[in-house]
Amino acid sequence: MSLLTTIENTRANLPLFKQARLVELWCAEPVFFASRELSDAYYTEGVLGNYALAYALGWVRSPYRLSGTATWRPTYLEDLGGLSDCYVLPAWPKQGKVTFRWERFNALSDSYWYAMTNNRVATSREDLPVQREGKKPNSFRPSNFPQSGRLRTIARGNLFQTLVFGNRELPDYIRVGKFMSKVRVEVISELKQVALSEGMYQSSAYLNTADLPAELQMLSFDLISIPPAPLVKNLRFQGAAWQFGEIIVPVGICFCGGGIK
Amino acid sequence: MSIETLTQFLAPTYENFPKGRTIGMVVLRKTQSELILRTEGSGEPMCSEFVQAGFQHKNSLQRLVMTKRKQVAPERRFGREQLRGFELLYPNKDGAVCSLNTNAPCEMCIDCFLYGFAAGGGGAQKSRVWTEDAFSLLPTSETVAERTINAIFETGTMRDENGKASTALNTSEYIKPGVHFLDVVTLKDMTADEMRYVLGNILMTPRYGAVSSRIGRMENQILGIFGGITELPSSLELVQSLYDALIEANTPLEHPFDTDLLVEMTKGAIATWTNRRGISRQLTEEQLTDVIADVDRHWDGERETFLKRLDRSYETFRKPPAKASSSRKGKKNAEPVTPEG
Repeated sequence: MSLLTTIENTRANLPLFKQARLVELWCAEPVFFASRELSDAYYTEGVLGNYALAYALGWVRSPYRLSGTATWRPTYLEDLGGLSDCYVLPAWPKQGKVTFRWERFNALSDSYWYAMTNNRVATSREDLPVQREGKKPNSFRPSNFPQSGRLRTIARGNLFQTLVFGNRELPDYIRVGKFMSKVRVEVISELKQVALSEGMYQSSAYLNTADLPAELQMLSFDLISIPPAPLVKNLRFQGAAWQFGEIIVPVGICFCGGGIK
Repeated sequence: MSIETLTQFLAPTYENFPKGRTIGMVVLRKTQSELILRTEGSGEPMCSEFVQAGFQHKNSLQRLVMTKRKQVAPERRFGREQLRGFELLYPNKDGAVCSLNTNAPCEMCIDCFLYGFAAGGGGAQKSRVWTEDAFSLLPTSETVAERTINAIFETGTMRDENGKASTALNTSEYIKPGVHFLDVVTLKDMTADEMRYVLGNILMTPRYGAVSSRIGRMENQILGIFGGITELPSSLELVQSLYDALIEANTPLEHPFDTDLLVEMTKGAIATWTNRRGISRQLTEEQLTDVIADVDRHWDGERETFLKRLDRSYETFRKPPAKASSSRKGKKNAEPVTPEG
């Protein structure tokens, strides 16, 4: 670990953000991400991840249809790694706390006849006699995808804030989460970058661990464990920093640490 | 001219990458019978939420909510019935005909291409029909009532031949007939035929919510169609702006609310939306009528030709679904394919 993380010897291709915008996100609809899954309850963590925001803001495009390995291996590295003219932080709740809303869901079939069995909506009527003999035909076995359960969503009306670096134009509305929930985007203020020299700093922002510079000395933090990469808040670190308004971030923060080297 | 007036915001053919062509529609959904929309099961209250009443009037108000999934599921089924009738649903990887909630979409039919699917034989398709939670204009105190139901024996009474009393007695909340929900629907990168298909589904789906073989009638009306590169304001903001306008005009917020007045006020409220960033044009009344007539024509006399033409348009993108490989690492996509509520 090098202690010489001064601005002079950081990577040459480091994105240098001269300004940032403080952006407020208002949830027009309940927002759902499967941050944690416990039995049949699906929990959203009280944060909007910055990779989700990058896709939502249209900085990177993903195809309408996924095929091949992309169906089970996300392409964050390939998509986001090359973005050097913009960056967005994970959005934190403006009031420091989030209100949630619970709702139940269940799934049905198109068919006229169906049976709700153990985590399966069975539609194979022809297997019914077999099932009545006490056997378990395949069409009645539990399915490995959710048929009913409870969702904890970020409630409508929650306000989040984030910093958007770079000067790409922002849309008025974006869609985020598994159910493509509508979120309104409002620029609150334009902030100039103030460079802070090497030292010990505490950041009030939420930061994505995968985006922090590899050589950063992290002294203490709270971990928010969500896929695809854990976030940290209340980070105290040693190093050079940038200050935008009241928010301090380590120098050299960028998507996926600059992508594939 | 009809739907072609929107050409600029329509795709000539299906493409796999978004190109920002966005069509926004304002839909008025009016209940025509009792309707039950709840997520917590029998005997529980209707889906509702406390939201800010208007923009100027910041008091909170409990409004009914028609969630996204309760709109899309019946509308998809309506279209799929037609596809099934014309044998335009394809076999899935197990050889069975495409069916919702089997975890085995055919990945090839019109419905799969338009409304998407997750977790199949090897691929996922995002929906290009974006919906929103629709809100009732009036508060739940005006729009919800209760019914007591009892089930009698075939003797016609509540007692069976042994004199035992029937236990089938229950009280249930329901949404009154004549309640208005305002809704915004967004179509992304659609071809003209795809738009006709989605519009047909919205205009012709007769019933929503629970017990839909008995109740749940709903009439949908398109109040405005916009083209642009981004989305319209949300349905919540729409009802909030209407609320302000109604208070301004001293209109009593009572059920039954005059539909004509509501339509007029909504059209007034959305007429300014073309000034918003990224919304470039709104169809005139005449063009809107033409588009609806165009959709009706395609779904009426030309239905078979139209559906088969739309079906053929995906031919170059059709691949038989890949056989599910058992060696796949990682978690299956956990998404209810057709969540109902």
